[in-house]
Amino acid sequence: MITADNPLAEAVERCAQEPIQVPGSIQPHGFLLVLDETDLHILQASENAEHWLGLPARELLGCALAELVGDGFDMRAHLARLPDDEAFPFHIGDVCLRPGAPWRDKLRVLAHRHDQVLIVEFEPVRLPADLAEQGDYYPLVRSFVGNLHLAASLEDLLQQSVEQLKRITGFGRVKAYRFDSEGNGQVLAEVADPGYPSYLGLCFPASDIPRQARELYRVNRIRVIEDANYQPSKLVPAANPRTGKALDMSFAALRSVSPVHLQYMRNMGTLASMSLSIVVDGQLWGLVSCHHDQPRPVDLRTRTACELLASVLSLQIESRESHASTRTLLDLRQHIVRMISSMADHDSVSEGLRDLPDVLLEFAGASGAAVISADRCDLIGKTPPQAQVTALVHWLAQRGEDTVFHSDNVRRDIDELPELADHVGGVLAVAISQIHSHYLLWFRPEQVRTVNWAGQPSKQVGPQGQLDPRHSFERWQEEVRGFCQAWDPLIVEGVVELRTAVLGIVLRKAEELAQLAGELRRSNKELEAFSYSVSHDLRAPLRHIAGYTELLGEIEGQGLSERGRRFLQHIGEAAQFAGSLVDNLLNFSQMGRSALRLSDVDLNALVDAIRAELAPDYQGREIVWDIAPLPKVIADPAFINLALQNLIGNAIKYTRGRDPARIEIRAQEHPDEVEVCIRDNGVGFDMAYANKLFGVFQRLHRMEDFEGTGIGLASVRRIIERHDGRVWAEGQIDQGASFHFTLPRPAATT
Amino acid sequence: MLKPILLVEDNPRDLELTLLALERSQLANEVIVLRDGADALDYLLRRNAYAERDGGNPAVLLLDLKLPKVDGLEVLKEVRTTPDLRSIPTVMLTSSREEPDLLRAYELGVNAYVVKPVEFKEFVAAISDLGVFWAVLNEPPPGSLRLNRRGSN
Repeated sequence: MITADNPLAEAVERCAQEPIQVPGSIQPHGFLLVLDETDLHILQASENAEHWLGLPARELLGCALAELVGDGFDMRAHLARLPDDEAFPFHIGDVCLRPGAPWRDKLRVLAHRHDQVLIVEFEPVRLPADLAEQGDYYPLVRSFVGNLHLAASLEDLLQQSVEQLKRITGFGRVKAYRFDSEGNGQVLAEVADPGYPSYLGLCFPASDIPRQARELYRVNRIRVIEDANYQPSKLVPAANPRTGKALDMSFAALRSVSPVHLQYMRNMGTLASMSLSIVVDGQLWGLVSCHHDQPRPVDLRTRTACELLASVLSLQIESRESHASTRTLLDLRQHIVRMISSMADHDSVSEGLRDLPDVLLEFAGASGAAVISADRCDLIGKTPPQAQVTALVHWLAQRGEDTVFHSDNVRRDIDELPELADHVGGVLAVAISQIHSHYLLWFRPEQVRTVNWAGQPSKQVGPQGQLDPRHSFERWQEEVRGFCQAWDPLIVEGVVELRTAVLGIVLRKAEELAQLAGELRRSNKELEAFSYSVSHDLRAPLRHIAGYTELLGEIEGQGLSERGRRFLQHIGEAAQFAGSLVDNLLNFSQMGRSALRLSDVDLNALVDAIRAELAPDYQGREIVWDIAPLPKVIADPAFINLALQNLIGNAIKYTRGRDPARIEIRAQEHPDEVEVCIRDNGVGFDMAYANKLFGVFQRLHRMEDFEGTGIGLASVRRIIERHDGRVWAEGQIDQGASFHFTLPRPAATT
Repeated sequence: MLKPILLVEDNPRDLELTLLALERSQLANEVIVLRDGADALDYLLRRNAYAERDGGNPAVLLLDLKLPKVDGLEVLKEVRTTPDLRSIPTVMLTSSREEPDLLRAYELGVNAYVVKPVEFKEFVAAISDLGVFWAVLNEPPPGSLRLNRRGSN
């Protein structure tokens, strides 16, 4: 805002508004004619043309150019050499003026088309005495270009360039500086003759070059001021007749510059200057500025060589920067790949990142990071305390605009959380999911930085309200606080890329889960349908066989032979056995499907009940029971009952014939599980078949020896595994067997 | 006069075995046999072929779960939502142990549920218990225990 209360801001803004591309005058070391290209008649002329041509500028208007130059000069033929797409003044040839003109030497003719007219500039051939010996620049430039790629560093590259430029131009001091993101220029390379103050390492504030001048530097890569004390020469008439406005001299070599700038030069003790732009990726990256304490001409050939050199330098910097950013990108990508694969391994975004704290930090060049998901907040490295991080996430969520937020100065950018600045300088945040409050944050510490300004960067306002450039360029130190090292735009982009990749993983996982769930639902349905048809359709005929067999035996039994009655009995038994097979199988499949109803289970009470229930099976046998006190467990009582019933039933069955049979039930409490063991002194089994014991329909004994459907132990395994326990067996033929299972201990009682 | 037992069963073998079981359980009630759910509803609601039938509601309804045309659960639902029929004791006979069927039958207000055992002796025992409870104990007056049945062929 420009307000009357702030005359300095007003003056700075006025300076930025100064129409420097249409100054209406030129520097007087040459003269300028504006021609209509169709008839080569003069539309405008600089006042100082009189000094060269001996005719007042006003009298030149309407004249044909041919009348002003020597006979040998055919303008049309020379113009043919001007490329159509050339925007800059192009040296189309040399000319001698008409006989009788005060200037008798050759003049260089530079022409360019702009603002709907042909602008022709004339300048004398002048090499300063100290350069007269140099001859052709080509070998110099060639060796320079040849060596540029050997430069070890950017500073080295710039240093080589300023040294070469000083040699070519003979200026007293040549320095190269680079603009930061705010437009302040820091001097990175300099070469100066004795007596010139050195500015190496110093910063020139952005306000030294107003924005329209900066834009002009970007498009027009060279500007020469031969004498800061020059008297500008006006154009006559002031307006371009084709446009009715002042002539646009953006590209003219002779363009006059702002008086503020000339004052600035004089304050700096510089009477001649040449500026070369370093343009990288279309942006004004920096400047090479050449200064001389005396007025100094720069000949066209010298300028051309300097321009070429500056272009090569620009390209070289561009290639270095793009190389560096490619490396940075590659590095970022490698970090992203490591993080993504860790997330995939852990099947979790948060866990994957927590597992690679160093990679997470290195990725963003941060000293601290936080991984925030709906239910937890993990801090890595140097971060603010958890409460502040939570508050920051809340602030980000409220802000809710972009998915990425970054600040290199939290004190300045996050007013609501002033205490953050006690711990960090800057933060970079990305919302993986705003809805689920899933954020990744990186922190960098505050870095106190000392800036060496070339003079206190404040301007003064002169009596007429114009800017009064500073007079002192003495080193002036400023300590800058509150900032962290700025977040590289590539890192910010990398964070967005990381987010996209994470979302990709999450989406893919969700799809996979949905697909799995769908398949499970389908196969569960099929299983249910199968169970249903088994229970209905298989049971009915078995029931009929059993029923009719029994009735037949009852009604016609007396009429059958002994053998016939035995067959009938076998049919009945077979049908009953098949029926119990079906029932067991159904139970088994239900065990896998029905939900566990967990509660406290008293194992001793269960064992006692089972013994009572199975009593008919061992009536008349002697069994020595050795049952230790068993712990209480948390389990589904009905299922555990079934498992114990199977195991105890087996122990009773396989000790048949032992006198006495011994059945021992013990428990052992481990830190996180309870192990129960049922041991008998029965027929045992061959350990070679131990892995078959728990499979469905796997039997190790002949039916005549020991009856059974082969589902009991499979059920035991299924029940125990549903409880997250393990089951195993040990045995030896004729030496008894022991069956073990574990149940996890409830966390509260450990 | 004892009210009849209404047995709805489509499978001829199960029907014969069930009738035998009922016979062995020494119930005095007449047994009326119907072969599908639609017939059962016609009988209960005195419609179509049964518009002119005598008597009131059966003493107990023995209903197979899976029936042609109108299945057992639907018959049960109709019985429970018809004011005149609502109080008929109803027992589901079925092969199924499937929980959804069981739950659904209880939701619809079945009085008992018998999974037909494979062994005939057990079946006879189960039918006897049911019959004694629903046909005799719940039926005033007890009357004769003489076997008197009809419609078993």
